[in-house]
Amino acid sequence: MTTVSDKICFILDNEWVELDFMHTASLRPVTTLLNFLRSLPNHKGVKEGCAEGDCGACTVVVAELNTNNQLEYKAIDSCLVFLPMIHGKQIICVENLEQHIGKEIQLHPVQQMMVENNGSQCGYCTPGIVMSIFALFKNHQLPEKEVIEDALTGNLCRCTGYKPIIDAAAKACIHNGKDHFSEKQDIITKQLIDFKKENKTIILKHTEQLYMLPQNLKDALALRKQYPKAVIISGATDTALRQTKKGEIIDQIIDLSQIDELKRFENTDKSMLVGSSLTLEKIKTEVQKSFPALSNILKIFGSLQIRNLATIGGNIGSASPIGDTLPFLFACKALVKLQNADTHRTIPIEDFICGYRKTMLAADELIVAVEIPFIPKDAILKSYKVSKRKDLDISTVSACFSLKLNNDHIVNDIIIVYGGMAAQIVRAKQTEAFLYRKNWERNTIEAAMKILYNEFTPISDARSDAEFRKLACRNLLMKFWNETD
Amino acid sequence: MNTEKNIVYHDSAIKHVSGRSIYINDMDTSSGMLYGKVVYSPHAYAHILSFNLEKARQLKGVHAILSYRDIPGINQMGPVFHDEPCLAEDTVNFIGQAIFLIAAETKEIAAKAEKLIEIDYDVHTPVTTLEEAIARNQLLSTPRIIHRGNADAAMLQAKHVLKGSLKTGAQEHWYLETQTSLCIPDEMNELMVYSSTQNPNETQAIVAEVLGIPRNEVIVEIRRMGGAFGGKETQGNHTAAWAALLAKHCKRPVKIHLFRDDDQIMTGKRHRFISDYEIGFDEDGLITAYKVSLNADAGATADLSMAILERAVLHADNSYFIPNISVIGKAWITNLPSNTAFRGFGGPQGIAVIENAIDKIARFLSKDAVEIRHRNFYGITDRNTTHYEEEVENNRLFTIYDQIIVSSDYFERRNKINEFNSCNEFYKKGMAITPVKFGISFTTAFLNQAGALVNIYQDGTVLVNHGGTEMGQGLHTKMQQIAASELGISPEYIKVNATNTSKVPNASATAASSGSDLNGMAVKNAIDTIKLGLLEIAVLEFNNKNYPNPSLTKDIVFHDNFVFDKHHPDRIIAFKELILKAYFQQKSLSSTGYYKTPNIFFDRESGKGHPFHYYAFGMAVSEVKLDILTGHHEILRADILHDTGKSINEAIDIGQIEGGFVQGIGWCTTEEIKWDTNGKLLNHSPDTYKIPAVRDIPADFRTALLKDAPNYNTIGQSKAVGEPPLMLSFSVWMAIKDAISAVANHKIEPEFSLPATNEVILKSIEKIKLLGC
Repeated sequence: MTTVSDKICFILDNEWVELDFMHTASLRPVTTLLNFLRSLPNHKGVKEGCAEGDCGACTVVVAELNTNNQLEYKAIDSCLVFLPMIHGKQIICVENLEQHIGKEIQLHPVQQMMVENNGSQCGYCTPGIVMSIFALFKNHQLPEKEVIEDALTGNLCRCTGYKPIIDAAAKACIHNGKDHFSEKQDIITKQLIDFKKENKTIILKHTEQLYMLPQNLKDALALRKQYPKAVIISGATDTALRQTKKGEIIDQIIDLSQIDELKRFENTDKSMLVGSSLTLEKIKTEVQKSFPALSNILKIFGSLQIRNLATIGGNIGSASPIGDTLPFLFACKALVKLQNADTHRTIPIEDFICGYRKTMLAADELIVAVEIPFIPKDAILKSYKVSKRKDLDISTVSACFSLKLNNDHIVNDIIIVYGGMAAQIVRAKQTEAFLYRKNWERNTIEAAMKILYNEFTPISDARSDAEFRKLACRNLLMKFWNETD
Repeated sequence: MNTEKNIVYHDSAIKHVSGRSIYINDMDTSSGMLYGKVVYSPHAYAHILSFNLEKARQLKGVHAILSYRDIPGINQMGPVFHDEPCLAEDTVNFIGQAIFLIAAETKEIAAKAEKLIEIDYDVHTPVTTLEEAIARNQLLSTPRIIHRGNADAAMLQAKHVLKGSLKTGAQEHWYLETQTSLCIPDEMNELMVYSSTQNPNETQAIVAEVLGIPRNEVIVEIRRMGGAFGGKETQGNHTAAWAALLAKHCKRPVKIHLFRDDDQIMTGKRHRFISDYEIGFDEDGLITAYKVSLNADAGATADLSMAILERAVLHADNSYFIPNISVIGKAWITNLPSNTAFRGFGGPQGIAVIENAIDKIARFLSKDAVEIRHRNFYGITDRNTTHYEEEVENNRLFTIYDQIIVSSDYFERRNKINEFNSCNEFYKKGMAITPVKFGISFTTAFLNQAGALVNIYQDGTVLVNHGGTEMGQGLHTKMQQIAASELGISPEYIKVNATNTSKVPNASATAASSGSDLNGMAVKNAIDTIKLGLLEIAVLEFNNKNYPNPSLTKDIVFHDNFVFDKHHPDRIIAFKELILKAYFQQKSLSSTGYYKTPNIFFDRESGKGHPFHYYAFGMAVSEVKLDILTGHHEILRADILHDTGKSINEAIDIGQIEGGFVQGIGWCTTEEIKWDTNGKLLNHSPDTYKIPAVRDIPADFRTALLKDAPNYNTIGQSKAVGEPPLMLSFSVWMAIKDAISAVANHKIEPEFSLPATNEVILKSIEKIKLLGC
């Protein structure tokens, strides 16, 4: 294994901060970035609204190197981020935006526009909103309304009704991202590159916890073998809740978020290989043309802050019955690439997921990639999500349909996959069988809907009752038909 | 003031955007602060047989674990009725009811201590639905009843009668800042309480009561809340009382900041209602009789339920004249957290029923609902008294209607919608216009009073204290503007202080949309008093040159940072200079101010009176598009025209209108609250409780203030704006119903309730389709 370090380092307030968990009693490796910042005397601007990534009051911006060593600015929910996850990155908080010129405070254009457009009322969500718009400012020039709204879906405001905030964002993002951070961008980039060169795998030992932050796949697999019970994280958007909401101390964690080898796309003739630590936001952008059905579902997956953290490996590995990428991956017969220290294997996703939050992952293996076969030209693939709220909501029912018709409009092949209808992602096999070799016309669909309605016995819960799930499940077939006919 | 009104930003705007605004959870105290935690009941109805706190007390870092036995004063925190224990004694009546308090050095230690507490319960079956509470006759208090004419007789004579029942759901406030309090013991019995409360005066009273000390030992201060919406009108008191008990016991500062889920589980919500109605009307849709029975779920204790119910009863008419009307309001006790104030305060629940009934009339008569609404509006010279016999003065319904019907292009769009619906099977559009007439004043008459304390310092700067609290609504900004206008100086010289019970005592809650009306007048009154002295000095100063026509105090003007004689503009002195002169000439530069709203009375027995100072009016037209296969809706456009009188700050008022409207949209659409049969809240975090996000607002959102509409006898001729716009969101709710109805070409009355979630919508469409086949 490469040299091991027991400290983490990051840039805050333009200075490198070194944290040593052995000697800082009040900090644990799983202390969230939010709680760390709020423990400092000068960083009370960041707020806790929900501690589960559902409100964005804790939004900060992380500036980090991408795999090409370029600096990227990303809005993230600091309540979901364990401190080691910011190792080797720059953290930008609301307090860092303004400049002091003599005695005068000069607000950042984002802040100035929020003031001038009456974008704040009670002000509690405001620092998070300012940071989301700041990330937008750095990444977009004259963004479309859709882009602005996407940047703000992760920020709840209970006072304004959002309109002045949208206006502020539109008026602020006219500077091509140029601001006082731009002046220091090269220096910061260089510092982060230099830091990365000598970066070591990190093992943080705390009295109650072992937190491992390997820097390459080899180290990760060695650690995985050594600590088979360790919880694997990358974006931690799911696992973090065990800490923030249940107060659980997870005793061993292997964090894959620093491994560049797991953050690559590779295209073959027949498929796209997606690294397991690629974030959903990266994937959303990358697959817009190749897999619009995936890109479309990712547009309404969580929020930008969540998608900047959450990874495809996490969505597959947690095997939730409402994992939003899974119906798509089932429908296009994706393959999960697994690896241990010695060998690797490939399993179809449908076999990989074997129960409620259960997978075939062996105790020494990691998910390294998912291979998504390109959609044949003669196939139609569409995904759908039904949730109470459009954005930042978990599916009540989700679905993906893959269809091949012959020239006579007869179903040659159909795959129908649902989330939210059973303890795991499921295929509607009875309905598929019924539709096979039938004419793709309304009468057929209406008959199939009757089968589909009775194919599953979903549960009633806080999101909806079982009857609604059955109706929505059934209707989505009609919706798909309507969009293909 | 008016020339400047559009460029005065929220007085905290720069602090908000730069992270400088300090909320109570951000306050740094001296070392030694402890974290408070509330241990609450996991059962909706149970007897506590025994408990053991010893193991928890022995945990290192735990400083106190308190039960009701440790309360030095009285174990009560009910605001109006004393029916709400501060800590449960032998019975728990809802999940989330406080039983013990922990103070510990860290939150983690407090959480560990909680797990060591042993409680033995005898669990009983709770009452968790309104239907069950009604069946068991668990009435909270005497029903509120208002009659006019003879509704029974008129119903018999009515050409058409429709009956129905409407359920409106609860709503969680979801203020971004959860309930928070920091209490710091001072010398002897004194206690400094920082509390996120809309009602510092009541917080002070309740803290003093539970501690068994006089009120003059307790100071409550609140600089700003991170949102409140009624949720901190009474229930902010609770957290303060708990933190105070711990601080007093430990003799150390104690902070309680409720975790989001705990806040949602423990605190009350907007009252859910079940309302049964009967409405009689003629062939033109003119309403002749209306009988409605409003049933509110009070939760476990009274809190403000009776006042909320009263406002529902007083708003059962909304904007419509109904000659024969009978309104009965009843509040029922259930084993749920006590429901409380929420923007609109019962008004929305009362109004929803008649709006839905009118919509039903329209479908029955095959007319556009806009026609029925317009036909039944309160009249200008006749048909203009409410069921409680208050005259609807300065009725602006027709003015607003005439303008918005044109500006929203209502009839043209109605045609286009019909066309769209006739050629689309899987998408349907709907549109609705709904009005609001909202009575302004506390219906509990004596609460309509306010105080202020204005200090001018020798450098000419001004510190305004008033009894109102800032929760984001821009009250302090308006007070700053009023002071600036009255003193004729720039707002930058004026600061509005944190609300503090030692500066302004006995203030009413900042509620009932009354903040600016009441406190603005009190601030003006204080300034008027100071100005009497200043005028004397100014005249003395101007007249010391022995002019043949000396200056008179009535001619002195305060403007633009100067004070001058309007007939002799050369007799002028800078405001700042005048202040210094006044000081040296021993004039008081500080004054209290006071205001009470004139002519407010209401007789509960007869249900008659003049409970409101005036009415605020508004109307909205909303258009939605429904995906009838999934129940998803999209708000395509909303037009709002709202009456704020002569607005003190247009940007702030528009912010209140848009914000209230969107909050109302949440209640009407996605904000669903469910309890299971054990009384357990299922939607206890934003994971499952969905307030509007950025893409849930109307795609085309147009808000306008009614022009040339000065109010009478209010500060700066303005009108209150906090609550009324929330009810304009019924236009979205009714538009959704209109779109559902389009599935069967408006021939079948859809099953409908509030919120209209995609679940409600899809099921309603299913029923219609079955009936239509």
